[in-house]
Amino acid sequence: MNHPNPWRKASFLALTLLSGTFTAAAAEINVIIEEVPEYDIVRELTAQFEAEYPDIEVNFDAMPFDAMRDRILTSSLAPSAVYDVIIVDNPWMTEFARAGYLAPLDERIAAIPGYDFSDFLAPLREIGIVDGTIYGVPYYNYALGLIVREDLLAATGRGAPTTLDEYRALARELTTESMAGAAMQPQRGYKIMEEWKNWLYAEGGEVFNEQGEVVINSPEAVAALEAYIDTYETSAPENSLNWGFDEALRAVAGGRAATMLSYNWMLPTLNEEGGIAGERAGLFKLYEVPGGKAVLGTWSWSIAANSEHADDAWTFISWITSKPIEKERVMAGGAPVRRSVIEDPQVWAEGYGEDYYTTLVGILEDAAPLARGNGAEEVINIVGTHLNAAVAGQKTPQEALDDAAAELERMR
Amino acid sequence: MGLRLRFLLPLALLLTGILVYPLVFAGWISVHDYQLTRLSDIRFTGAENFTDTFRNPNFWNALGNTLIFVLGAVSLELVLGLALALLVQRLDRARHLARSLLLAPMFITPIAVGLLFRFLLNAEIGVIPFLLRGVGLSIDWFGPQLALFSLILIDTWQWTPFMFLMFLAGLESLPRSPFEAAEVDGASRWSQFLHLTLPLLRPVILVALIIRSLDAFKVFEYVFAITRGGPGTSTETIQYLIYQTGFRFYRLGEAAAMAFVLVAVTLVLVFLLYTVLRRS
Repeated sequence: MNHPNPWRKASFLALTLLSGTFTAAAAEINVIIEEVPEYDIVRELTAQFEAEYPDIEVNFDAMPFDAMRDRILTSSLAPSAVYDVIIVDNPWMTEFARAGYLAPLDERIAAIPGYDFSDFLAPLREIGIVDGTIYGVPYYNYALGLIVREDLLAATGRGAPTTLDEYRALARELTTESMAGAAMQPQRGYKIMEEWKNWLYAEGGEVFNEQGEVVINSPEAVAALEAYIDTYETSAPENSLNWGFDEALRAVAGGRAATMLSYNWMLPTLNEEGGIAGERAGLFKLYEVPGGKAVLGTWSWSIAANSEHADDAWTFISWITSKPIEKERVMAGGAPVRRSVIEDPQVWAEGYGEDYYTTLVGILEDAAPLARGNGAEEVINIVGTHLNAAVAGQKTPQEALDDAAAELERMR
Repeated sequence: MGLRLRFLLPLALLLTGILVYPLVFAGWISVHDYQLTRLSDIRFTGAENFTDTFRNPNFWNALGNTLIFVLGAVSLELVLGLALALLVQRLDRARHLARSLLLAPMFITPIAVGLLFRFLLNAEIGVIPFLLRGVGLSIDWFGPQLALFSLILIDTWQWTPFMFLMFLAGLESLPRSPFEAAEVDGASRWSQFLHLTLPLLRPVILVALIIRSLDAFKVFEYVFAITRGGPGTSTETIQYLIYQTGFRFYRLGEAAAMAFVLVAVTLVLVFLLYTVLRRS
């Protein structure tokens, strides 16, 4: 029997593997992305991209939110990036950009005629700009709005609440034995901070002032927290101190809560026939948050600074965020980020209707990020911990906010 | 190089790579201002991270929560595990079936157990609150008074089977003659348990307690999946605090210092436990 030389066999195998690696590496980009419905739309559109650009293969690594930050970090610290394209949540942007994890995009954006960066709504595009340099292009927004059961609102004879006082009165009126007026999300950390900050804006408060000084224990902030706690005690579901997004959504969808402050794009989900709200589909409507100014969240597309395929990565990002593809994405159910798309009658017709998109423009135009700057993640956690302690009755609102302020000062 | 050394060398190298090197590196970063987003600006800070840890009220709060958790969970598991082992030991036919069924929770990954109980105990959609409402009870499982206790119960549900398994094996290996002699002398069941079973089982109890205590000190998944340390900081455990500091806020130097203090505290407690049980 003729046995092949093992060394020759091994060399052949190694060469095959190496050549395969090099050939593939020239045309492959890896994208880290959060596993949410937006990703499904992007993935479907990407088939179109790969048909247009047969030399570039896009590999998605989709994962839950909690796993993303660690993966991005390890990829960014490696000599060569695991992920060429990173989607960046708004609290991470400054930190990642200043750490040198992200590649500047100004020149690339300027080099594409008709890309029209200014078409992205200002609050969204500004999140991707750090120290005057663009590091991220908006992917989708998750600004907060007020979602209300219209049939229940109509029964009260009231109009949609535009101030915090009106909202609190409405929530109290809608509360019955079997119905909570407001499905709130006072879970420690991110969730309570994301919800309460809308109340803070409504009272005219802020976490930091324009000079960067800590002002979270201002009288406005104390009033906002007192109002929040009062509404939790009078209008939220019983024993919901630990509630986050899932629990609040289930309560509203299941007909056990009448309103909630949540991501604007939950409206189509709730109103979808045969969807999670069952027979209540179509009864929900989106309004701007009471007080007008909303908490804004945005995911942005960025290129890893240590990517060896930055050009291919930008080819993909510029394609997926271009006006025509953004329009396709939004018509397929995606959350818009470009003004030209959000105001396009064809998008209204094929998407979720004019009413939704015009309300959304109003929300996005007067929205501010949950947190920005170095250590934004920690700011959210610190404030969110003390807020939750106040709602739990472990501290008074003033004590909680004083403690939060002291800890923020220490951190800075 | 002698034959023995040559056989030992691969293992020694492996251990150095996976144990000694990370430990030494952790020691090095614990005396530096080492932030993952500022790797170009690492500064030697001496004992500063340790003094900060000792002055940090969140650290002591988390350590206190962890100790309560360990004490509560391991005590409950000890009592229930021993009771179950004594009951199952008496079974003739269904012993193997009972053993298999009782061991089941141990094979579920703790993060899944956390998510499971997050929804089972959810006031709105949970089965347990639903059943309790049926008998007129409304319990806020994750409220400020009960949240840590709820986590202890969840751990007890998952890890009592471990204690049970250890004690059942221990009981089955006990010599029969002292018990037969005691019966001849007219000793009651309770007296036999107190003066024979427990003393003979002591080595097994010691090992089970040490293993479970060390494991319970690592509690992280239930906190991460259910409470995120809340309400306030009432369920923030030391592992969760270290994770937050090191991997959410990227301050690895501080996180490493906290981890070393935790190791020291754990070693002292294990030593005390070992000494007390050996002496008694």
